[in-house]
Amino acid sequence: MKKFSQLAIPYIAWAAMMLVLPMALIALYSFMRQGNDIISFSFTLEHYKKFFTDPDFLLVLWRSLLIAVKTTLICLVIGYPAAYYISRCSEQIQNIIVLCITLPTWINALVRTYAWIGILSDGGIIQTILGFLGLGEVELLYTEAAVLLGMVYNFLPFMILQINTALCKMDHSLLEAASDLGANGAQTFRRVILPLSLPGVINGITLVFLPAVSSFFIPKLLGGGQYFLIGNLIENQFITAGEWNFGSAISMIMAIVMMLMMMAVRNIEKKNQGGKEED
Amino acid sequence: MKKERRLFGKILLLLLIVFFYAPILYMIIFSFNEGKSLTHFTGFSLRWYQHMLESRDMMEALYTTFSVALLATVISTVAGTIAAIGISKSKRIIRDIMDQVNNLPMMNPEIVTAIGFMLLFITFRVEKGYATMLLAHIAFCIPYVMLSVMPKVRSLDPNLANAAMDLGATPMQALTKVIVPQITPGIISGALIAFTMSVDDFIISYFVTGQGVKNLSIMVYTMSKRVNPSINAISTLVVVIITIALLAINLLPLFVARQQEKGKSTRKLIVIPAVGAVVFAVGLIFMKNGMTQSSLPYQGQTLHVYNWGEYTGENVIPAFEAQTGARVVMENFDSNEQMYIKIANGEAYDVVVPSDYMIQRLIQEKLLQKLDQEKLECWENLTPEVLGLPYDPENEYSVPYFWGTVGIVYDTTKVDIEDLEREGFDIFHDQKYKGDIYLYDSERDSFMMALKALGYSMNTADEAELQEAYNWLVACVETMEPEIVTDEIIDNMAQGRKALGLIYSGDATYVMSENENMGFYLPDRGTNIWSDGMVIPANAKNPELAHEFINFISDYEGAYDNSSYVGYTSANIEVMEELSGEGGDYEGINAYIPRSGNPKDEVFEFNDETRKIISNLWSKVKIAASNAN
Repeated sequence: MKKFSQLAIPYIAWAAMMLVLPMALIALYSFMRQGNDIISFSFTLEHYKKFFTDPDFLLVLWRSLLIAVKTTLICLVIGYPAAYYISRCSEQIQNIIVLCITLPTWINALVRTYAWIGILSDGGIIQTILGFLGLGEVELLYTEAAVLLGMVYNFLPFMILQINTALCKMDHSLLEAASDLGANGAQTFRRVILPLSLPGVINGITLVFLPAVSSFFIPKLLGGGQYFLIGNLIENQFITAGEWNFGSAISMIMAIVMMLMMMAVRNIEKKNQGGKEED
Repeated sequence: MKKERRLFGKILLLLLIVFFYAPILYMIIFSFNEGKSLTHFTGFSLRWYQHMLESRDMMEALYTTFSVALLATVISTVAGTIAAIGISKSKRIIRDIMDQVNNLPMMNPEIVTAIGFMLLFITFRVEKGYATMLLAHIAFCIPYVMLSVMPKVRSLDPNLANAAMDLGATPMQALTKVIVPQITPGIISGALIAFTMSVDDFIISYFVTGQGVKNLSIMVYTMSKRVNPSINAISTLVVVIITIALLAINLLPLFVARQQEKGKSTRKLIVIPAVGAVVFAVGLIFMKNGMTQSSLPYQGQTLHVYNWGEYTGENVIPAFEAQTGARVVMENFDSNEQMYIKIANGEAYDVVVPSDYMIQRLIQEKLLQKLDQEKLECWENLTPEVLGLPYDPENEYSVPYFWGTVGIVYDTTKVDIEDLEREGFDIFHDQKYKGDIYLYDSERDSFMMALKALGYSMNTADEAELQEAYNWLVACVETMEPEIVTDEIIDNMAQGRKALGLIYSGDATYVMSENENMGFYLPDRGTNIWSDGMVIPANAKNPELAHEFINFISDYEGAYDNSSYVGYTSANIEVMEELSGEGGDYEGINAYIPRSGNPKDEVFEFNDETRKIISNLWSKVKIAASNAN
C-alpha cells in the first residue's frame, strides 16, 4: 500500500502552487506599498489603516454582514420547515422534490439572477399586480429588497438541501422513543429533532452566509450601481481603481472576519453536542 | 392538528417550487417575445433565437462555458481521484494538512479565491485567457472531487489491494482493477459536482479571463446593462441542455445498477462518458479552428480589439472579417480606468479605443506605438475639429473614432426647460426631481459636472476645489436618491423611466431617436468636449492588421455603420453630415452635432495626482450613495 502514497506527490505540488501560493500572494500584496512588485517588496500597514480609519469603509463591511445575516435568517426560517416537511414525505416523493430544488441550482446563477430584472423592473409583472391591489407604483428593482430577494433566491436551495440531509439521517426510532417516554410534539422537536438536525443547519448557514457576504453580482444586477457591498468594493479596487494592494487588504479583512464568524457558529454546534459528536 | 400541519407543509413546498421556477419560466416565455421589452409580451416570435445564433459573441460564450466545463471535469476527476487515493494512504500529518489546503477554495469567499488566482497569473506573467480560465477551474474543481472520492477510499478494505498484489497484480493493475471499480459512485458524483461548479462559475472566471474570452456568466454580466432579449434565448438553451443532462444523470445510476445485476464491469461506464466528453471537447476545438480556408490577405490571423461596450455597429466586424479574412476578437470595457489597468499589465491588444486624456496618459507611459503614417489612408476623411488636439498634437498615435459632449438628457414632459436654463448642472440638486435622476458611473465626468456646476475648470488640480466638487456630489447622492448607472441609462431613458440624467451626447442621440419626448441640454457653464481615438499598444501582436482596421473604421462604410447603429458622432465628416442632414437618421437631433464656440467647454488633460484624488473620492461618493439608502 505504501506505493500508493506516491500518487499524492504531484497533487501536493499542484496544491502548493495553485491553492496555497495565491493566498500567500494576497497576504503579501496587502502588506506591500502601492506600485511595488514582489521583487522590490517594502512592508507597510497603510492599506489596513486606510480601511479601519475610514467610517465609510467600515459601514460598507457592516452593511454587507447585515444583509448576509438577513439572508441567512430568511433562508433558515423558510428552509427549516420546508426541509422538515420534505423529510416526512415518502422516499420516492422526497427524491422528486429534492431533484426539483436542485435543478435550478444547476442553471447558471447569473442567468437566474438576470431573469429577475424583467420581473422586478418598472412596469413589470409584480409592479402591475401591486398596482391592481392598490399599492401604487412601488419601486422594486434597484432597492435593497431586490438584493435580498436575489440572495434568498440564489442561496435558499443550499439551506433546504443541507437541513434535509441531516433530517433524513436521523434515526426515526428516536422519535418513537421520545413519544413513548411521554414527550409531546414540541418537546420532541426541541429535545430530539432540533439537536440532531443542527449539523445540517450549521452547514446550511455556512453555505448561505459565506457567498452572501462576498456576493457582488447580485447587488450589481438587482441593486444598481449605487448599491455597494464589500464584494463590489473589492471588485472595484481590482477592475477599475487598480489599487490591488488595498483590494488585497480588504479581501484579507473580509476573509478573517468571516472565518471568525464561522468559528463562532461551529462553537455553538460543539457546545450543543457536548463535544461528543465526531462527524 | 396534524392535518393542518401537513397542509401548511404542502402549501409551503408549492410556493417554494413556484418561487424557484417562476423566474426561469418568465425568462423562457420572454425569449419568444416579438418585441424588445422584458416586461410586455407582444407576440410570439423566434427572432431572438435567430439573433442569438447569429451572434458570435454568444455562441463563443456557449462554447467556452461547456468546453471549459468538460475539460475541467475530466481532468479534475482523474487528478482528484488519483490524489485522493494517494493522500488517503499517506501519513496522517499529510492528510490533515491537505484537508486544510483543500478547504481553502471551499471555505474562502469565492472572490478571495478569484483574486488569488488573478494575482498568481499576473505575478508570474502568465497571459490571461482560455488557458488560465481552464487552470483555475481545474484548481477549484479538484477539491470537490476529492471531497466526494475520499470517503469511499477510506472505507475501502486496505487488504484488498494487498491481496491483489500478493496474487501477482502490479500496483497499476491493483489500482485500476480493484480500487477504482469500488469507488466508482464517489468518482461519478465528484465529476458531477465539478461539472456544475464549472458551468455555474462566474466570479473566478471573471477575474482570470483575458483576450476577450468570455463564458456565459461573464457575457450576461457585461451585457445585462442594455435590454437584450437574446440573453433570454441563450439562457433558455442552457436550461434545456442542463435539464437533459441532469435527467440523464439521474437515470444513469439505475442503469448502472441494472448492469451490475447482469454482472458486467462498471468500469466501462465511466470510461465511455469520459472518453466521449474528451472527444467532444477536442472536436469542438477543431471545429472552431479549422473551419474556413480561402485566400484573403489576412486569412487565419487574429485581431484583438479592446473597445467600449455598445460602441460598434452590427455589421462592422463581419464586414471587416469578410474583406480581410481575419478573425476579430472584441473585448469591451466600461471605463478608461478599467481599460488602462489591463494595458498597463501587459495584456496584448492590437487596437484600443481610449478617450483623450487616457491617450495622453498612455503616450506618457510609453504604452503606445507610433502609427505608421504610410499605411493610413484616413486623414482627409476626418473632421478637423478632432484632429491635432493637445493630447496628441500631431496625431502620431491616435485616429479619432467618435467624439461628442456630456450633457443632460431630460424628459420634456416632466422637466421644465426654464429649470435647466436657470440651474444648469445644479438641477441635480433640485428637490423637485428627487428620486427621478440618473448619475453616470464615470469618475471623470461626474467630477466634471460638479466642477462646472461650481464654476471651476474641469482640469483643476486645486485640492480645495476638488474637495468642494466632492461635497457637491455627496450632497447630490444623499438628498436626491439618484441611481448611478452606466449603459442602463440608454434603454431606461428611451422608455422614459426617469426625468433626467447625465449622459454622453451619443447615447442621448440614440435616446432621442427612440423617444421624441426626450431632449438634450448643455449647460452654459461648459462641459467636456471629448473624443475617443483608436491607438495601437506597444505590445500589439499584429500592428499590420491594426492599421487595416483603423482605415476600415475611418472609411465611409465602416464609419456610417458605426455611427448610425450606436448614435455617437462620427469623426468621418461625410458620415456626420449625412446622418445629421435632411433625411438622415439624426436629422434635427441637437445631441448629434457637438457644440462648438462656448469658451467654457474644455478637453480633459491627464494629471496623475488629480486622477488619484478623483478616483479615491469617487468611490467614496458611491459608498455614500449606498450608505444613504
